[in-house]
Amino acid sequence: MSQMTKSDDQKLGIKILDAWASAIDGVMDDRPDITGFWLLKAFQVKRAQCRFLPDRWAHPSGRQAALLALESVTGALEHPQDIVLTSIFMPNEIFQSLGLYPLIAEAAANFVTGAHAEPSFIDSAEKHGVPETYCSFHKVLLGGAFAEVFPSIPFIANCSVACDANNLSFKLLAAHYGAPQRYIDVPDSYTEENCRYVAEQLESLARALEEAYGRTLDLEDLKERVARSQRTLDKLVATLPLRRNRFVKNNMGLEMQHALVFHTLLGDPKAEQLATQMLEDYAGAPEFHGVNLVWSATAPFFSVPLQKLVDVNPEQQIIASDMCFDQVTFDGWHHDGAHEPFPAMAERLIRNSYNGGGQRRADRMAELCEMAKADGAVVFCHWGCKETMGCAQLVKSTLERADFPCITLDGDGCNRANFPGGQAATRLGAFLEMLHARKDQRAAAHPQPAASPRDESDKQTVA
Amino acid sequence: MTPTVYYPCKYAPIELLAGYGAACKPVTYEATSFEDADRLAHPNLCGFGKSLIAFALKPEVKALVLTSCCDVMRRVYDVLDAEQCLDFLFMVDLPHLTGPAERARLASELERLAEAWERYSGETFDVGAALASFEPPVARQDARVTLLGAHGPESLLKAAESAFDLPVENLTCTGGRRVASPPASLGRAIRQEACRESCDASTPAPDPKEAFIGWYAGALLDQTPCLRMADISGRQNLIGAPGQRGVIYHTMKFCDYYGFEYLMASQDAAVPMIKVETDGTRQSAGQLSTRLKAFDETLVGMTDTLKFDKGTGPIYVLGVDSGSTSTDAVVVDKDGTPVATVILPTGAKATESAQRAIDSVLEKAGLARDQITLAVATGYGRDSIPSMDTSITEITCHARGAHALCPEAMTIVDIGGQDSKVIKLDEDGNVVNFVMNDKCAAGTGRFLEMMARTMELPLDEFCTQGLSWKHDVKISSMCTVFAESEVVSLVADDTPVPDIIHGLDRSVASKITSLAKRVKAEPPYLMTGGVANNEGVVTAIGEALGAPVATSEDSQLCGALGAALLGLEALV
Repeated sequence: MSQMTKSDDQKLGIKILDAWASAIDGVMDDRPDITGFWLLKAFQVKRAQCRFLPDRWAHPSGRQAALLALESVTGALEHPQDIVLTSIFMPNEIFQSLGLYPLIAEAAANFVTGAHAEPSFIDSAEKHGVPETYCSFHKVLLGGAFAEVFPSIPFIANCSVACDANNLSFKLLAAHYGAPQRYIDVPDSYTEENCRYVAEQLESLARALEEAYGRTLDLEDLKERVARSQRTLDKLVATLPLRRNRFVKNNMGLEMQHALVFHTLLGDPKAEQLATQMLEDYAGAPEFHGVNLVWSATAPFFSVPLQKLVDVNPEQQIIASDMCFDQVTFDGWHHDGAHEPFPAMAERLIRNSYNGGGQRRADRMAELCEMAKADGAVVFCHWGCKETMGCAQLVKSTLERADFPCITLDGDGCNRANFPGGQAATRLGAFLEMLHARKDQRAAAHPQPAASPRDESDKQTVA
Repeated sequence: MTPTVYYPCKYAPIELLAGYGAACKPVTYEATSFEDADRLAHPNLCGFGKSLIAFALKPEVKALVLTSCCDVMRRVYDVLDAEQCLDFLFMVDLPHLTGPAERARLASELERLAEAWERYSGETFDVGAALASFEPPVARQDARVTLLGAHGPESLLKAAESAFDLPVENLTCTGGRRVASPPASLGRAIRQEACRESCDASTPAPDPKEAFIGWYAGALLDQTPCLRMADISGRQNLIGAPGQRGVIYHTMKFCDYYGFEYLMASQDAAVPMIKVETDGTRQSAGQLSTRLKAFDETLVGMTDTLKFDKGTGPIYVLGVDSGSTSTDAVVVDKDGTPVATVILPTGAKATESAQRAIDSVLEKAGLARDQITLAVATGYGRDSIPSMDTSITEITCHARGAHALCPEAMTIVDIGGQDSKVIKLDEDGNVVNFVMNDKCAAGTGRFLEMMARTMELPLDEFCTQGLSWKHDVKISSMCTVFAESEVVSLVADDTPVPDIIHGLDRSVASKITSLAKRVKAEPPYLMTGGVANNEGVVTAIGEALGAPVATSEDSQLCGALGAALLGLEALV
């Protein structure tokens, strides 16, 4: 009997998922409850796999991130009465302190895509008149809501960061569910006046949540969480120099899961533990002599041709992505979370690299490339994301001025059908070849000593 | 002298700039090429944003004031700021809420703009000039058609004005600027404070600019909200206002805001509505004009507008449908019975094909041209056919023709070469509502033709092979280009051809179902147009709609027949 290769295994897995997705597609219109039930079951099975059979190739922090990301979505769906529907850029410490479960729109959509079920959800949204050009993440969310696949949402809280979809989907869903909605309006630039403005809105949101769920916010707990958020983000920044020329052992999906954890669970001890584990993992990671990329925006984690190029690949890797570093600061915090939790959360929102002008995103990418010593960068223009598409050339020119080659890739981070993976892989492949050649030329011109060993695992060398 | 300040958004503080003597004009420019915008930003931004970039790069444009009204405007600002192509560029960060805190925030943004303009122009603020610049908003009561939704490009406004007999009111996101007039007390208070300042130096008087801005920020925010504002309840009165006879709802490709309002408004609109989607360019003018004219026909009713003398001789009415693929002609007698019919390929020259069709049908009917009582043209080429008495859009004609072929039909699904339509009828065959595909080829005969070409199959064989499918294959992409990629991948994976064709048929059916939902279509359904001959598509549409879809052998003649019958009804 011939042994199955990893590739055969993947093909079988995809076939099973496709068959499963096709089955739920068949019942989605008539029995959305069945679709919702099986979707949750699929997430629970995957969660069990992450708990008991985690990916062996990943660092311990990678395994933690995968589990935490799944727990965040599954946990919310398992507690429908305590859900707050929100967006990924919204601070979550208030929800955590009140014992509520934030259901992140983008995360829910990403996991639907992970379960190969996004076509039916997108179809449902478009049949209800949602524009074809709308962001696929939000289309999946709306499609699921219109088809009544997701549980009824008791409260919606979202902010204006980072895109127009926040002004549309949540308003529509509030009307659909008859749920109260709180909208946090975030100014573009940071001033103390603007910080107070956002802080007051967050305080008002906390009061509205207390009233809606009949709970009382423990201010001391909130302070502890916001202080922890700042510590976690500072630790995350500290991982950047440790990534230089080290094998971070990730894939596009894991990179997105890290981003999810550092938003949904920021403030929770688990997120801080993850950052601490990353420090430990990267400090002891094997050397990496391939090409290091910094990735901007979402990643099409489902694309097999791109997976072959950058997923756990000893030749080239994504060393960091700006979705994980949008909330960090490189020059300290203006407000201490331990004493001023609301202004500290407000500060994080306003100074988020995805808020305001495109140059801020470009500068953040340049900082990440510099700190992680990247060889190049990718700006992924997700379908419908005008914020990213509109500044893609600005990011590219900023990075190229700083001597970091950059490529912009068009595609879709959520909808397989809208992503020509083969073409994208050709473009990215050619870009990587160029970066390899450039790196070799530079190495020949300026030979560098090998990275100094940091612990025993350094003896393991990749590529 | 300071240059003209251009602005795209109704929240732009032009009265504040008028206080500095600046002349302000809205941007109405429609670029003919998006080359610069595509290079500096991205092709998938809305046409208005891309036109704005092209406009700002013109050497004669010196000053532009933007608001952070949407993602595209933010990025237009970023691109222009990086290009340094303007002498003065400013973006007002506009709040999404309108409470006291937001008014204070906008006021501080306006202060920032005032300071920047003072530095640039060297002018000082004259509150009198600012107060004098307000145009009092007047609530309209007259009979009119309202253009709502996303920014209305000039070509759309002109097409609307020429399609409707009624005046067209522009209340799109850039057209509905109605800032309240300043209260008399504001002018008085500012003057009194100025007086007190000169009379009593010990009491510091508030700055007139500060007082003006304090009030003005609220006035700007109190306008009828655009869709990006958090509270849009103020938009409820835009549809069904006194005097409003109909609403043209404009959405723009890659502007997502207004599709959502249409989605909600169309469910229980008090007045007839039509959705028109453009890409912000002058392209598709023919289709646009057809849709708007057809809407006008539904608003006024054909029998009210068309009246012709029936004369004294025998009655024969000619209907000619000049379509993109075929040109059809029908002659009916006084009872509406077809005397002769002709179907010819349109070919490269629509006018010549129409003339050939007319000659041929007259020959078959045994009639001379002067024996025709009335000749009615329809279809894309309707206004180019010589010596016709009148023209009616193919939507109205298709509805009438379909009603004649299948009187019980309540919804017509028409899929032709370059567009697809769903028309909802009343019991008498009048158009109640209709919807057409947008410029894109998805869900049209052209889509299927392209896919057949990709699979290297003649169209007939493509239709037949699709009937023997075994396994469901899902073609998810509606976009013709992406669907082609999917088909190529499926072929590469050795997916059986009939299964792929069936997947494509279902893809078209899905597109049609989306259109059908928009007009609240209901059975019985009748399918017309060339694609009605494709059994696979007809079955797939029936399955998607949940009811059988009838076809008629004469369905291709629907438009010409309808034109002839409407002409017959117009004879008095």
